[in-house]
Amino acid sequence: MSGHGTGATVRDAIFVVEHVTLRFGGVVSLNDVSLTMERGEILAVIGPNGAGKTSLFNSLTGVYRPQEGTITFVGRDGARLSVIGKKAHRVSAAGVARTFQASRMFSALTAFENVKIGAESHRGIGVAGAMLRGPMTRRDERQSDRRTVELLHFVGLQERANAISSSLSYGDRRRLEIARGLATNPQVLLLDEPAAGTNPTEKRELATLIRKVRDEMGVSILLIEHDMKLVMSLAERLYVLNFGSVIAEGSPEEIRANPAVIDAYLGTTNTASEAS
Amino acid sequence: MRRLTESLRTPTGRRAITSIATMAVVALMTGPSGSATEPTAGPVGSYGERVSIFGLFAGPRWFLFLIFAAIMWGVWTLWLQRGTQLRSAASMALTVPKRGFALKPVRLVFYAALIAVGVVFPHVVTSQYWQSVMVEQIAVFVLLALGLNVVVGFAGLLDLGFVAFYAIGAYATAWVTGSLPTPAPFGVHLNPFFAIPVAIVLVMVAGILLGTPTLRLRGDYLAIVTLGFGEIITIFANNLYGITGGSYGSGGVTGKHGIPHFSINLGPIHYRWTLNPVPYYYLTLVFVIMFIVAFSLLEHSRVGRAWTAIREDEVAAESVGINPLKYKVMAFAIGAASAGFAGVVTAAQTIFIFPATFTLQVSINILALVIFGGMGSIAGVAVGAMVIQTASMYLLHTPPAGYQPADLYMYLGALLMVTMIFRPMGLIPSRRRRREITLAEAGEGHMNEVLTGENP
Repeated sequence: MSGHGTGATVRDAIFVVEHVTLRFGGVVSLNDVSLTMERGEILAVIGPNGAGKTSLFNSLTGVYRPQEGTITFVGRDGARLSVIGKKAHRVSAAGVARTFQASRMFSALTAFENVKIGAESHRGIGVAGAMLRGPMTRRDERQSDRRTVELLHFVGLQERANAISSSLSYGDRRRLEIARGLATNPQVLLLDEPAAGTNPTEKRELATLIRKVRDEMGVSILLIEHDMKLVMSLAERLYVLNFGSVIAEGSPEEIRANPAVIDAYLGTTNTASEAS
Repeated sequence: MRRLTESLRTPTGRRAITSIATMAVVALMTGPSGSATEPTAGPVGSYGERVSIFGLFAGPRWFLFLIFAAIMWGVWTLWLQRGTQLRSAASMALTVPKRGFALKPVRLVFYAALIAVGVVFPHVVTSQYWQSVMVEQIAVFVLLALGLNVVVGFAGLLDLGFVAFYAIGAYATAWVTGSLPTPAPFGVHLNPFFAIPVAIVLVMVAGILLGTPTLRLRGDYLAIVTLGFGEIITIFANNLYGITGGSYGSGGVTGKHGIPHFSINLGPIHYRWTLNPVPYYYLTLVFVIMFIVAFSLLEHSRVGRAWTAIREDEVAAESVGINPLKYKVMAFAIGAASAGFAGVVTAAQTIFIFPATFTLQVSINILALVIFGGMGSIAGVAVGAMVIQTASMYLLHTPPAGYQPADLYMYLGALLMVTMIFRPMGLIPSRRRRREITLAEAGEGHMNEVLTGENP
């Protein structure tokens, strides 16, 4: 427990979270959370329901604004962005992409359009260009189209490009969300329970895809997941949250053997503390 | 007899009874009123009265309303059939969508034909009344509806003060042409053509100024703020006597000259618009086409997709890097542009402008056109504006017996209610909106959902 919190000194960190506390009125959602994510790793955050995992994600992406602490995103070029107080679209522009727990697509649009929106969001606004449809606009459109097709191939949805996104299966929706996130050209991808609602085959394919994203695109992965089998096989390192605090950190083997984690999951915190 | 009662119990029969009953009520309401001593004399006596409609029909009143009932029954029946087709089409759309924006030859011919009809139209309808209605009430309101459609339909923002931009456009014209009590800018009195860029820039700036602080609000709150903005502009026009002429209108009591007509003085070409509505009709037609083309290109561009994304799920849109505030402000400014132009036309054509022209009622009327036509559908709002404006101007011009001008809103209200029940997506819905509503009814999608995430 004493090791983390000094993450700022890690040389190739991508996210450095220090002493972050997030409250909603009297409810403390994140309590003095510190963690470090390294570039290129697949890191998982686990914990029982209500432990604050999604709150952590929302804080990392600028949706929530923690009252205390610092969150630093370190870009590939070494540029540091202090996330707290930044709008979500600014954080996205810096290179942080995410998916949502209950997948949030633009449900009336096609899979293609969903990804294309991600691919073109960081270009300038260009109203005049859009109205006049000049050569620059057309070239931009072609580029975004090409990138969209590439990404749909990458996640294996090329056959479903013209399907309305809400007609896709759960597994395909997760893939689509990943493609949309990747379209923004991120350095880190935050996946919020990507395997929820998917069947075992889809889970295996998803794990393969997540590894492929990291290996082929060089995108670091931060993952929240309840499916222990998936997490343990995928993650290289884990943080365990309980009641808004980090209670453990380490490799899958270490976590599996950690008594505090077992207590948190089996709900025997009280008896354990009495016994010790 | 028994067969008759049985056939009346079928859905078709019930629709027939409902249609006849509805039309009987309408006939009663529009008929002359009775007197205190003989309350039924008016309605009863009026049934034999001969009426004519567009000069096409002449006959007793009861027969006219029977025809109306038959039309209502027919439309209703067809509508239901089409409804089932549409519903299956909507579920089809979930698997076989179309994509992109391509100008197919068939469409090109169709558009060319539409424009040709538009060009020929004032030569077919030669009545002075209808010609001026085409400019003042139809073309201007089509422009206003197109503008509000960008705000309400594309970006999904409820604006109840849209008339403000119309007013700013009109007053800007009066100002630039030196027709307000306040001195004209640059000291010269310009032709209204020069007012077009000034008005459009001014309304866009007004849109940005209004939007930047207020578009952080959502839904109802935004509606109330915009409502207030509309009222503020009207009150300014009314009370800034020394600048706007107050309730006396642009001329004030200072005897200022009216707003001049458009004119062209380009080398050898000299042309001056006059009180004749036809040249104004062509001028606005050109601008209506320009706005339609510009807005459709915009709808199918990056900007239009970003608006759709924000409308459907603002949180997800922001997570892929779309700045919602920026795009919403842009929708306000772009939508305002066509309203500003509508203001220029109104000012130049009516010579004097009055604050009473720019009331809340106009804002609500424009919104009704957009909702009736189909939010987010350019063709829909244009056709919707034409239908409603023509109908209300017809009622004004050829009022049925006992019709009071204020009754108009009763009819419009009824029309809107019926539209919302039978066709909630509007007359000609946009493809995306239709899908959104179908999905929302099926409990899918994230429209208007507040971010909850995991329980902290």
